[in-house]
Amino acid sequence: MNVSWQRLTDQRLCLAAGLAGALLATACASTPPPTASLQAARSAISHAEEADAGRYAAPELSDARERLAAANSAVDQKMMPAAQRLAEESRVDAQLAFSKAELAKAVAVNDEMKHSNRTLIEEMQRKSGDQP
Amino acid sequence: MNTSAYKVPMPGRTLIAAAVASLLLVACATAPVRPDGADAARARLTQLQSNPNLATRAPVSMKDAEMAVRVAEQPQSDVEIGKYNVYMADRKVDIAVAQAETALAVDQRAGFAQQSEKARLDERTREADLANSKLASARVEIADQKSQAEITRLAAADAAQQAAVLAAQQSADAAAQLAAQQSANAAQQAAQQAAQQNAEMQRQLDEMHAKMTDRGAVLTLGDVLFATGRADLKVGATNNLDRLVLFLNNYPNRTVVIEGYTDNIGGDEYNMALSQRRSDSVKSYLTGQGISSMRLTSTGKGLSNPIAGNDSASGRQQNRRVEVIIDNPPVALR
Repeated sequence: MNVSWQRLTDQRLCLAAGLAGALLATACASTPPPTASLQAARSAISHAEEADAGRYAAPELSDARERLAAANSAVDQKMMPAAQRLAEESRVDAQLAFSKAELAKAVAVNDEMKHSNRTLIEEMQRKSGDQP
Repeated sequence: MNTSAYKVPMPGRTLIAAAVASLLLVACATAPVRPDGADAARARLTQLQSNPNLATRAPVSMKDAEMAVRVAEQPQSDVEIGKYNVYMADRKVDIAVAQAETALAVDQRAGFAQQSEKARLDERTREADLANSKLASARVEIADQKSQAEITRLAAADAAQQAAVLAAQQSADAAAQLAAQQSANAAQQAAQQAAQQNAEMQRQLDEMHAKMTDRGAVLTLGDVLFATGRADLKVGATNNLDRLVLFLNNYPNRTVVIEGYTDNIGGDEYNMALSQRRSDSVKSYLTGQGISSMRLTSTGKGLSNPIAGNDSASGRQQNRRVEVIIDNPPVALR
Protein backbone atom coordinates (compact mmCIF):
# COMPACT_ATOMS: atom_id res chain seq x y z
CA MET A 1 0.00 0.00 0.00
CA ASN A 2 2.75 2.29 0.98
CA VAL A 3 4.80 1.40 -2.10
CA SER A 4 1.87 1.73 -4.46
CA TRP A 5 1.07 5.16 -2.99
CA GLN A 6 4.62 6.25 -3.61
CA ARG A 7 4.53 4.99 -7.21
CA LEU A 8 1.31 6.76 -7.73
CA THR A 9 2.82 9.99 -6.43
CA ASP A 10 5.80 9.59 -8.77
CA GLN A 11 3.45 9.11 -11.68
CA ARG A 12 1.53 12.20 -10.67
CA LEU A 13 4.74 14.19 -10.44
CA CYS A 14 5.74 13.10 -13.91
CA LEU A 15 2.36 13.97 -15.29
CA ALA A 16 2.39 17.37 -13.64
CA ALA A 17 5.88 18.10 -14.95
CA GLY A 18 4.85 17.03 -18.45
CA LEU A 19 1.74 19.12 -18.32
CA ALA A 20 3.67 22.13 -17.10
CA GLY A 21 6.22 21.71 -19.87
CA ALA A 22 3.55 21.40 -22.50
CA LEU A 23 1.85 24.48 -21.11
CA LEU A 24 5.08 26.44 -21.21
CA ALA A 25 5.74 25.30 -24.77
CA THR A 26 2.27 26.29 -25.92
CA ALA A 27 2.61 29.59 -24.14
CA CYS A 28 5.72 30.38 -26.17
CA ALA A 29 4.38 29.13 -29.45
CA SER A 30 1.10 30.97 -29.10
CA THR A 31 2.62 34.44 -28.48
CA PRO A 32 1.39 36.24 -31.59
CA PRO A 33 3.83 38.22 -33.78
CA PRO A 34 3.87 41.97 -32.96
CA THR A 35 1.82 42.78 -36.04
CA ALA A 36 0.78 46.25 -34.91
CA SER A 37 4.34 47.28 -34.06
CA LEU A 38 5.64 45.95 -37.37
CA GLN A 39 2.94 47.77 -39.25
CA ALA A 40 3.67 50.99 -37.33
CA ALA A 41 7.37 50.68 -38.19
CA ARG A 42 6.60 50.12 -41.87
CA SER A 43 4.33 53.13 -42.10
CA ALA A 44 6.79 55.31 -40.19
CA ILE A 45 9.46 54.31 -42.70
CA SER A 46 7.35 55.19 -45.70
CA HIS A 47 6.37 58.46 -44.03
CA ALA A 48 10.07 59.26 -43.64
CA GLU A 49 10.76 58.25 -47.24
CA GLU A 50 8.05 60.62 -48.44
CA ALA A 51 9.75 63.39 -46.48
CA ASP A 52 12.95 62.78 -48.44
CA ALA A 53 14.71 61.22 -45.46
CA GLY A 54 16.75 59.13 -47.92
CA ARG A 55 18.45 62.36 -48.87
CA TYR A 56 18.48 64.30 -45.62
CA ALA A 57 18.69 61.55 -42.93
CA ALA A 58 20.09 58.53 -44.71
CA PRO A 59 21.78 56.87 -41.68
CA GLU A 60 18.64 57.02 -39.55
CA LEU A 61 16.46 55.74 -42.36
CA SER A 62 18.71 52.79 -43.08
CA ASP A 63 18.81 52.07 -39.31
CA ALA A 64 15.04 51.85 -39.39
CA ARG A 65 15.06 49.49 -42.38
CA GLU A 66 17.73 47.27 -40.81
CA ARG A 67 15.80 46.95 -37.59
CA LEU A 68 12.56 46.22 -39.39
CA ALA A 69 14.28 43.41 -41.27
CA ALA A 70 15.71 42.10 -37.99
CA ALA A 71 12.27 42.23 -36.42
CA ASN A 72 10.82 40.18 -39.26
CA SER A 73 13.55 37.60 -38.93
CA ALA A 74 12.93 37.42 -35.16
CA VAL A 75 9.29 36.70 -35.92
CA ASP A 76 10.41 33.83 -38.19
CA GLN A 77 12.47 32.48 -35.31
CA LYS A 78 9.49 32.79 -32.97
CA MET A 79 11.41 35.30 -30.81
CA MET A 80 8.41 37.51 -30.35
CA PRO A 81 9.56 39.79 -27.49
CA ALA A 82 12.74 40.57 -29.41
CA ALA A 83 10.71 41.12 -32.57
CA GLN A 84 8.47 43.51 -30.69
CA ARG A 85 11.42 45.51 -29.39
CA LEU A 86 13.11 45.64 -32.78
CA ALA A 87 9.92 46.81 -34.44
CA GLU A 88 9.52 49.60 -31.88
CA GLU A 89 13.15 50.61 -32.33
CA SER A 90 12.66 50.64 -36.09
CA ARG A 91 9.63 52.90 -35.65
CA VAL A 92 11.51 55.50 -33.57
CA ASP A 93 14.43 55.32 -36.01
CA ALA A 94 12.05 56.15 -38.83
CA GLN A 95 10.44 58.94 -36.81
CA LEU A 96 13.85 60.39 -36.11
CA ALA A 97 14.73 60.13 -39.80
CA PHE A 98 11.54 62.03 -40.62
CA SER A 99 12.21 64.74 -38.02
CA LYS A 100 15.79 65.16 -39.16
CA ALA A 101 14.69 65.46 -42.78
CA GLU A 102 12.17 68.12 -41.81
CA LEU A 103 14.84 69.97 -39.87
CA ALA A 104 17.29 69.80 -42.76
CA LYS A 105 14.69 71.19 -45.15
CA ALA A 106 13.72 73.97 -42.76
CA VAL A 107 17.36 74.94 -42.32
CA ALA A 108 17.83 74.87 -46.11
CA VAL A 109 14.92 77.28 -46.56
CA ASN A 110 16.38 79.61 -43.92
CA ASP A 111 19.82 79.45 -45.49
CA GLU A 112 18.27 80.39 -48.81
CA MET A 113 16.52 83.36 -47.19
CA LYS A 114 19.71 84.47 -45.47
CA HIS A 115 21.59 84.11 -48.72
CA SER A 116 19.13 86.21 -50.70
CA ASN A 117 19.11 88.86 -47.97
CA ARG A 118 22.85 88.99 -48.09
CA THR A 119 22.82 89.22 -51.88
CA LEU A 120 20.33 92.06 -51.73
CA ILE A 121 22.40 93.98 -49.19
CA GLU A 122 25.58 93.41 -51.19
CA GLU A 123 23.84 94.52 -54.35
CA MET A 124 22.76 97.70 -52.60
CA GLN A 125 26.21 98.39 -51.29
CA ARG A 126 27.65 97.84 -54.75
CA LYS A 127 25.12 100.29 -56.21
CA SER A 128 25.82 102.88 -53.52
CA GLY A 129 29.50 102.48 -54.38
CA ASP A 130 28.63 103.58 -57.93
CA GLN A 131 26.92 106.62 -56.55
CA PRO A 132 28.78 109.77 -57.65
CA MET B 1 23.33 6.20 2.23
CA ASN B 2 22.80 6.95 -1.35
CA THR B 3 19.58 5.07 -1.52
CA SER B 4 18.41 6.56 1.68
CA ALA B 5 19.31 9.93 0.39
CA TYR B 6 17.57 9.17 -2.86
CA LYS B 7 14.54 7.90 -1.11
CA VAL B 8 13.93 10.96 0.98
CA PRO B 9 10.44 11.18 2.34
CA MET B 10 7.94 13.45 0.66
CA PRO B 11 8.45 16.60 2.73
CA GLY B 12 12.23 16.43 2.05
CA ARG B 13 11.72 16.23 -1.69
CA THR B 14 9.50 19.22 -1.71
CA LEU B 15 12.16 21.16 0.11
CA ILE B 16 14.75 20.30 -2.55
CA ALA B 17 12.40 21.21 -5.35
CA ALA B 18 11.70 24.49 -3.70
CA ALA B 19 15.40 25.16 -3.25
CA VAL B 20 16.11 24.42 -6.91
CA ALA B 21 13.23 26.57 -8.00
CA SER B 22 14.35 29.49 -5.88
CA LEU B 23 17.91 29.04 -7.18
CA LEU B 24 16.62 29.28 -10.72
CA LEU B 25 14.63 32.35 -9.86
CA VAL B 26 17.62 34.03 -8.29
CA ALA B 27 19.70 33.17 -11.35
CA CYS B 28 17.17 34.96 -13.52
CA ALA B 29 16.72 37.90 -11.24
CA THR B 30 20.23 39.23 -10.86
CA ALA B 31 20.14 42.39 -8.81
CA PRO B 32 18.20 44.99 -10.89
CA VAL B 33 20.46 47.82 -12.03
CA ARG B 34 19.99 51.18 -13.70
CA PRO B 35 20.77 50.54 -17.37
CA ASP B 36 23.91 52.00 -18.92
CA GLY B 37 23.20 55.12 -20.89
CA ALA B 38 20.08 56.15 -18.99
CA ASP B 39 21.96 58.94 -17.27
CA ALA B 40 23.35 60.21 -20.57
CA ALA B 41 19.86 60.31 -22.04
CA ARG B 42 18.63 62.23 -19.00
CA ALA B 43 21.49 64.69 -19.33
CA ARG B 44 20.70 65.36 -22.99
CA LEU B 45 17.01 65.83 -22.21
CA THR B 46 17.85 68.27 -19.39
CA GLN B 47 20.06 70.20 -21.79
CA LEU B 48 17.17 70.49 -24.23
CA GLN B 49 14.73 71.51 -21.50
CA SER B 50 17.03 74.23 -20.25
CA ASN B 51 17.73 75.74 -23.67
CA PRO B 52 15.53 78.85 -23.75
CA ASN B 53 15.40 78.81 -27.56
CA LEU B 54 14.15 75.23 -27.75
CA ALA B 55 12.47 74.34 -24.44
CA THR B 56 8.94 75.34 -25.44
CA ARG B 57 9.03 74.61 -29.14
CA ALA B 58 8.15 70.90 -29.34
CA PRO B 59 6.02 70.20 -26.26
CA VAL B 60 4.51 66.89 -27.43
CA SER B 61 7.71 65.15 -28.44
CA MET B 62 9.43 66.62 -25.39
CA LYS B 63 6.84 64.96 -23.15
CA ASP B 64 7.30 61.68 -25.04
CA ALA B 65 11.03 61.92 -24.46
CA GLU B 66 10.56 62.69 -20.77
CA MET B 67 8.41 59.56 -20.34
CA ALA B 68 10.84 57.40 -22.27
CA VAL B 69 13.77 58.64 -20.17
CA ARG B 70 11.85 57.85 -16.98
CA VAL B 71 11.25 54.31 -18.21
CA ALA B 72 14.92 53.97 -19.12
CA GLU B 73 15.93 55.10 -15.63
CA GLN B 74 14.02 52.23 -14.00
CA PRO B 75 16.40 49.56 -12.69
CA GLN B 76 16.19 46.50 -14.93
CA SER B 77 17.17 42.90 -14.23
CA ASP B 78 16.83 41.99 -17.90
CA VAL B 79 19.80 43.56 -19.69
CA GLU B 80 18.09 43.36 -23.08
CA ILE B 81 15.06 45.27 -21.87
CA GLY B 82 17.30 47.83 -20.19
CA LYS B 83 19.19 48.40 -23.45
CA TYR B 84 15.94 48.65 -25.36
CA ASN B 85 14.55 51.24 -22.95
CA VAL B 86 17.71 53.33 -23.21
CA TYR B 87 17.64 53.12 -27.03
CA MET B 88 14.06 54.30 -27.14
CA ALA B 89 14.81 57.14 -24.72
CA ASP B 90 17.84 58.24 -26.76
CA ARG B 91 15.94 58.29 -30.01
CA LYS B 92 13.00 60.15 -28.51
CA VAL B 93 15.30 62.82 -27.11
CA ASP B 94 16.86 63.09 -30.60
CA ILE B 95 13.40 63.48 -32.14
CA ALA B 96 12.45 66.18 -29.61
CA VAL B 97 15.67 68.08 -30.36
CA ALA B 98 15.13 67.86 -34.12
CA GLN B 99 11.51 69.01 -33.88
CA ALA B 100 12.33 71.89 -31.53
CA GLU B 101 15.12 73.03 -33.85
CA THR B 102 12.76 72.80 -36.82
CA ALA B 103 10.18 74.95 -35.02
CA LEU B 104 12.89 77.45 -34.15
CA ALA B 105 14.02 77.61 -37.77
CA VAL B 106 10.45 78.24 -38.92
CA ASP B 107 9.98 80.95 -36.29
CA GLN B 108 13.16 82.69 -37.41
CA ARG B 109 11.77 83.18 -40.90
CA ALA B 110 9.62 86.13 -39.89
CA GLY B 111 12.82 87.88 -38.85
CA PHE B 112 14.50 87.11 -42.17
CA ALA B 113 11.47 88.35 -44.08
CA GLN B 114 11.60 91.55 -42.03
CA GLN B 115 15.29 91.91 -42.77
CA SER B 116 14.72 91.56 -46.48
CA GLU B 117 11.80 93.98 -46.31
CA LYS B 118 14.03 96.46 -44.53
CA ALA B 119 16.78 95.95 -47.09
CA ARG B 120 14.30 96.59 -49.90
CA LEU B 121 13.01 99.68 -48.13
CA ASP B 122 16.53 100.97 -47.61
CA GLU B 123 17.16 100.37 -51.29
CA ARG B 124 14.12 102.41 -52.25
CA THR B 125 15.07 105.18 -49.82
CA ARG B 126 18.55 105.21 -51.28
CA GLU B 127 17.18 105.46 -54.81
CA ALA B 128 14.89 108.29 -53.75
CA ASP B 129 17.81 110.07 -52.04
CA LEU B 130 19.89 109.63 -55.16
CA ALA B 131 17.13 111.12 -57.30
CA ASN B 132 16.79 114.01 -54.85
CA SER B 133 20.48 114.74 -54.84
CA LYS B 134 20.51 114.66 -58.64
CA LEU B 135 17.64 117.10 -58.60
CA ALA B 136 19.46 119.30 -56.11
CA SER B 137 22.64 119.33 -58.19
CA ALA B 138 20.58 120.12 -61.27
CA ARG B 139 19.12 123.06 -59.36
CA VAL B 140 22.56 124.22 -58.34
CA GLU B 141 23.59 124.03 -61.96
CA ILE B 142 20.65 126.11 -63.03
CA ALA B 143 21.41 128.61 -60.29
CA ASP B 144 24.99 128.72 -61.54
CA GLN B 145 23.80 129.37 -65.03
CA LYS B 146 21.53 132.09 -63.73
CA SER B 147 24.30 133.79 -61.85
CA GLN B 148 26.45 133.48 -64.92
CA ALA B 149 23.71 135.20 -66.87
CA GLU B 150 23.50 137.84 -64.16
CA ILE B 151 27.22 138.51 -64.47
CA THR B 152 26.87 138.82 -68.22
CA ARG B 153 23.93 141.11 -67.77
CA LEU B 154 25.84 143.29 -65.27
CA ALA B 155 28.75 143.47 -67.65
CA ALA B 156 26.37 144.49 -70.39
CA ALA B 157 24.84 147.08 -68.07
CA ASP B 158 28.31 148.38 -67.27
CA ALA B 159 29.08 148.69 -70.92
CA ALA B 160 25.76 150.36 -71.44
CA GLN B 161 26.50 152.78 -68.60
CA GLN B 162 29.85 153.60 -70.05
CA ALA B 163 28.19 154.12 -73.37
CA ALA B 164 25.60 156.30 -71.65
CA VAL B 165 28.31 158.34 -69.94
CA LEU B 166 29.96 158.72 -73.26
CA ALA B 167 26.65 159.64 -74.80
CA ALA B 168 26.02 162.13 -71.99
CA GLN B 169 29.31 163.70 -72.69
CA GLN B 170 28.30 163.86 -76.27
CA SER B 171 24.71 164.84 -75.67
CA ALA B 172 23.35 165.32 -72.13
CA ASP B 173 19.93 166.06 -73.50
CA ALA B 174 19.71 162.88 -75.44
CA ALA B 175 20.85 160.88 -72.40
CA ALA B 176 18.27 162.51 -70.13
CA GLN B 177 15.64 161.76 -72.69
CA LEU B 178 16.73 158.16 -72.86
CA ALA B 179 16.68 157.81 -69.08
CA ALA B 180 13.23 159.28 -68.87
CA GLN B 181 12.15 156.96 -71.62
CA GLN B 182 13.60 153.97 -69.75
CA SER B 183 12.00 154.79 -66.43
CA ALA B 184 8.72 155.39 -68.15
CA ASN B 185 9.07 152.03 -69.82
CA ALA B 186 9.79 150.33 -66.51
CA ALA B 187 6.81 151.95 -64.82
CA GLN B 188 4.61 150.98 -67.67
CA GLN B 189 5.88 147.45 -67.52
CA ALA B 190 5.23 147.20 -63.78
CA ALA B 191 1.77 148.58 -64.21
CA GLN B 192 1.12 146.17 -67.00
CA GLN B 193 2.29 143.27 -64.88
CA ALA B 194 0.13 144.27 -61.94
CA ALA B 195 -2.79 144.67 -64.25
CA GLN B 196 -2.14 141.27 -65.72
CA GLN B 197 -2.04 139.72 -62.27
CA ASN B 198 -5.25 141.38 -61.25
CA ALA B 199 -6.84 140.38 -64.50
CA GLU B 200 -5.84 136.79 -63.92
CA MET B 201 -7.35 136.82 -60.43
CA GLN B 202 -10.45 138.46 -61.75
CA ARG B 203 -10.68 135.85 -64.46
CA GLN B 204 -10.53 133.11 -61.84
CA LEU B 205 -13.15 134.84 -59.71
CA ASP B 206 -15.35 135.28 -62.74
CA GLU B 207 -14.99 131.62 -63.49
CA MET B 208 -16.56 130.95 -60.10
CA HIS B 209 -19.28 133.49 -60.83
CA ALA B 210 -18.16 135.55 -57.89
CA LYS B 211 -19.91 138.87 -57.36
CA MET B 212 -17.81 141.79 -56.33
CA THR B 213 -19.32 143.43 -53.27
CA ASP B 214 -17.98 145.81 -50.66
CA ARG B 215 -17.34 142.80 -48.39
CA GLY B 216 -15.14 141.14 -50.98
CA ALA B 217 -15.79 138.68 -53.77
CA VAL B 218 -18.92 136.70 -52.89
CA LEU B 219 -19.32 133.27 -54.33
CA THR B 220 -22.85 131.88 -54.02
CA LEU B 221 -23.19 128.13 -53.93
CA GLY B 222 -26.75 127.16 -54.76
CA ASP B 223 -28.83 124.60 -52.97
CA VAL B 224 -27.94 122.03 -55.62
CA LEU B 225 -25.03 121.30 -53.29
CA PHE B 226 -27.33 119.73 -50.72
CA ALA B 227 -30.31 117.42 -50.60
CA THR B 228 -33.42 118.75 -48.84
CA GLY B 229 -32.87 119.00 -45.09
CA ARG B 230 -29.43 117.49 -45.33
CA ALA B 231 -26.01 119.02 -44.81
CA ASP B 232 -23.70 116.60 -46.60
CA LEU B 233 -22.47 117.69 -50.01
CA LYS B 234 -23.95 115.88 -52.98
CA VAL B 235 -21.56 113.82 -55.01
CA GLY B 236 -20.62 115.66 -58.19
CA ALA B 237 -21.79 119.03 -56.83
CA THR B 238 -18.29 120.13 -56.00
CA ASN B 239 -17.09 121.58 -59.33
CA ASN B 240 -17.46 125.13 -58.17
CA LEU B 241 -15.84 124.29 -54.83
CA ASP B 242 -12.89 122.76 -56.63
CA ARG B 243 -12.39 126.03 -58.53
CA LEU B 244 -12.42 127.74 -55.15
CA VAL B 245 -9.81 125.32 -53.88
CA LEU B 246 -7.64 126.10 -56.89
CA PHE B 247 -8.09 129.81 -56.29
CA LEU B 248 -7.21 129.53 -52.60
CA ASN B 249 -4.15 127.51 -53.50
CA ASN B 250 -3.05 130.18 -55.96
CA TYR B 251 -3.58 133.00 -53.45
CA PRO B 252 -2.49 131.55 -50.13
CA ASN B 253 -2.90 134.80 -48.17
CA ARG B 254 -6.64 134.98 -48.85
CA THR B 255 -9.08 134.07 -46.08
CA VAL B 256 -12.65 133.04 -46.56
CA VAL B 257 -15.93 133.37 -44.64
CA ILE B 258 -18.48 130.70 -45.33
CA GLU B 259 -22.08 131.60 -44.54
CA GLY B 260 -24.99 129.20 -44.70
CA TYR B 261 -28.53 130.44 -45.45
CA THR B 262 -31.87 128.67 -45.63
CA ASP B 263 -35.42 129.33 -46.68
CA ASN B 264 -38.19 129.74 -44.13
CA ILE B 265 -39.43 126.17 -44.13
CA GLY B 266 -39.08 124.82 -40.58
CA GLY B 267 -38.40 126.83 -37.46
CA ASP B 268 -35.69 129.36 -36.76
CA GLU B 269 -33.67 126.98 -34.66
CA TYR B 270 -33.86 124.19 -37.20
CA ASN B 271 -32.77 126.50 -40.00
CA MET B 272 -30.03 128.05 -37.93
CA ALA B 273 -28.63 124.60 -37.16
CA LEU B 274 -29.06 123.38 -40.71
CA SER B 275 -27.32 126.43 -42.16
CA GLN B 276 -24.50 126.04 -39.65
CA ARG B 277 -24.08 122.38 -40.58
CA ARG B 278 -24.12 123.22 -44.29
CA SER B 279 -21.48 125.90 -43.95
CA ASP B 280 -19.46 123.52 -41.76
CA SER B 281 -19.82 120.91 -44.45
CA VAL B 282 -18.39 123.25 -47.08
CA LYS B 283 -15.59 124.18 -44.71
CA SER B 284 -14.73 120.56 -44.05
CA TYR B 285 -14.73 119.88 -47.79
CA LEU B 286 -12.22 122.67 -48.27
CA THR B 287 -10.01 121.52 -45.40
CA GLY B 288 -10.27 118.03 -46.87
CA GLN B 289 -8.79 119.48 -50.06
CA GLY B 290 -5.83 120.80 -48.14
CA ILE B 291 -6.94 124.35 -47.32
CA SER B 292 -5.87 125.31 -43.81
CA SER B 293 -8.83 125.69 -41.47
CA MET B 294 -7.14 128.83 -40.13
CA ARG B 295 -8.16 130.54 -43.36
CA LEU B 296 -11.79 129.43 -43.17
CA THR B 297 -14.61 130.69 -40.98
CA SER B 298 -18.03 129.09 -41.19
CA THR B 299 -21.23 130.51 -39.74
CA GLY B 300 -24.91 129.66 -39.98
CA LYS B 301 -27.21 132.56 -40.75
CA GLY B 302 -30.46 130.58 -40.81
CA LEU B 303 -33.35 132.13 -42.66
CA SER B 304 -31.97 135.67 -42.35
CA ASN B 305 -30.99 137.83 -45.33
CA PRO B 306 -33.17 136.18 -47.98
CA ILE B 307 -32.08 137.20 -51.45
CA ALA B 308 -35.47 136.29 -52.90
CA GLY B 309 -39.04 135.87 -51.73
CA ASN B 310 -39.82 132.80 -49.66
CA ASP B 311 -43.30 132.62 -51.15
CA SER B 312 -42.24 130.76 -54.27
CA ALA B 313 -40.37 127.57 -54.77
CA SER B 314 -37.78 129.29 -56.97
CA GLY B 315 -37.37 132.05 -54.38
CA ARG B 316 -36.90 129.50 -51.60
CA GLN B 317 -34.46 127.68 -53.76
CA GLN B 318 -32.42 130.88 -54.21
CA ASN B 319 -32.49 131.46 -50.48
CA ARG B 320 -31.13 128.01 -49.74
CA ARG B 321 -27.51 128.77 -50.38
CA VAL B 322 -24.01 128.96 -49.04
CA GLU B 323 -22.10 132.14 -49.63
CA VAL B 324 -18.36 132.14 -49.70
CA ILE B 325 -16.87 135.58 -49.13
CA ILE B 326 -13.29 135.91 -50.26
CA ASP B 327 -11.75 138.67 -48.18
CA ASN B 328 -9.59 141.42 -49.62
CA PRO B 329 -10.89 142.37 -53.01
CA PRO B 330 -8.19 141.87 -55.61
CA VAL B 331 -7.91 145.58 -56.38
CA ALA B 332 -6.81 146.24 -52.80
CA LEU B 333 -3.96 143.83 -53.20
CA ARG B 334 -0.60 145.14 -54.47
